[in-house]
Amino acid sequence: MHIADGVLPTSIIFTTYALSSAGIAYSLRKINPEDLPKIAVVTASFFVASLIHLPLGPTSVHLLLPGLMGVLLGPAAAFLSVVVGLVLQSILFQFGGLTALGANSLMIGVPAFLCGLLFLRFQGSTLRSNVAGAAIAGGLGTVLAALILAGLLYTSGESFFRVAQLALVAHIPVALIEAVVSAATVSFIFRVKPEMLYWSRTLLYTNDAAR
Amino acid sequence: MMQPDKIILVSPWVTCALIGLFIAWPLYLLCKKKWRSSASNNNRNTAPPDWSIAPGTAAEKKQSFLHAWDPRLKIATLFTFCFVVASLDALGTCLAALLISISAVLYSHTPWIRVRKRLVAISGFLAMFLVIMPFTSPMVEDETILLFPFLSALPFHMYGLLTAVLICLKACSVALLMEPMFGTSSLTVSLQALQQLGVPAPIIQMILLTHRFIYLFQQEANRMHRSMKLRGFSPKTDIATMRITGNFLGMLFIRSYERTEHVYEAMLSRGYNGVFPVYTQHRISVKDIVTTGGWLITGLALLLFDASAQALWV
Repeated sequence: MHIADGVLPTSIIFTTYALSSAGIAYSLRKINPEDLPKIAVVTASFFVASLIHLPLGPTSVHLLLPGLMGVLLGPAAAFLSVVVGLVLQSILFQFGGLTALGANSLMIGVPAFLCGLLFLRFQGSTLRSNVAGAAIAGGLGTVLAALILAGLLYTSGESFFRVAQLALVAHIPVALIEAVVSAATVSFIFRVKPEMLYWSRTLLYTNDAAR
Repeated sequence: MMQPDKIILVSPWVTCALIGLFIAWPLYLLCKKKWRSSASNNNRNTAPPDWSIAPGTAAEKKQSFLHAWDPRLKIATLFTFCFVVASLDALGTCLAALLISISAVLYSHTPWIRVRKRLVAISGFLAMFLVIMPFTSPMVEDETILLFPFLSALPFHMYGLLTAVLICLKACSVALLMEPMFGTSSLTVSLQALQQLGVPAPIIQMILLTHRFIYLFQQEANRMHRSMKLRGFSPKTDIATMRITGNFLGMLFIRSYERTEHVYEAMLSRGYNGVFPVYTQHRISVKDIVTTGGWLITGLALLLFDASAQALWV
């Protein structure tokens, strides 16, 4: 769920803008500038993937994908990718308000960053460990995003408490779907093009070696 | 314990009518969607609008002061104005902001369908606030409460309704302003302006490249989806659908990953050195400064009225 304009109070708007700017600056320093065009191309495929709706009972949900972005791109690149995707979603589709861009970037970007770190740490080299890592990242990414959303609404005032609770509950089925889809995606990539699952390491390590 | 000012008991007949409406409306929407999907064979157009050419510049020759405005000043001013709108707290000033946004959209000759798409995109989020907040907002001093029979545990707070209405007004105002802000010059020019305003150049480059490849992957995804349907895939709420979607996404990501190297090599061979060259030059005229001043004074006036009208809004 993207936060629209007019919900968050001014102080939160400026704080989240400042925090996500800091996140962008940090991520840009961590990544080799030569890799940015490649990350942009993969970001486009994530953008298209996030427009896909899956049926859930009588309604349908669309995927948030923070976990999968962290898994495939690694922490820093995933954060940049989230910001670029959200700017375009806001300008093109109005998914997420312009003034809530900072808040939305944190809501999806921070889980993507953390899932990226987690997956780098526990990835292993077997199909089973990769799939398990992806399932955990997919579920955890969505749960973290929902927690950040609820936290932002909580800080916005007493009138939003119940809305925040309902938003948390509504994300439970999405987290389950996301875990299964992420596991299936990584299982497919592991069998078809395994080197893609280790691409995120080269995005980080070439830069560290150069320094 | 705070006491409400007024408690209005709603008659059972009105309640029944309202509950009936509440059940009938989603049912109607569901049926309409089912009917439409079976009629048009699910031929939904989800492609993003093509923003490489700004509407009203080449094709329609309809110019306005928004098209002629220097893009740097336009984006900086309207961006600031959006933040002003988002910080408003009074019903009157929010309505004024909405009127200003509507007139800006009318002046910029934006096609109605693009505005409608934006409003539809935020409608779900706003509807959630409109439905939930009146029933869940906390008790405030001197407010009016509607009590429905059968639903005595869920009093309807007018204060909560007002908060939700304010959110809707502000969200719609900013959403409407997006078209005059980014729709009156091409995306390339807007992004150049953003770069000159201090957004880091690598981010701008990434946005431009991503935007270019979205169309490509959208077509690829459509093609894959078509062949999946041809093989009998129909999405349901089950593990199989999720597994197939996972394979679908995996294929999409692998194709994009395989393309990254080619794209980068092609860019290098054409002399890419980290920046895209800028050819368009803009000069700030007196008219630009007057327009900017007008918008800023309007924003300041809104803020002042809002601060003085604080007590009015309960």
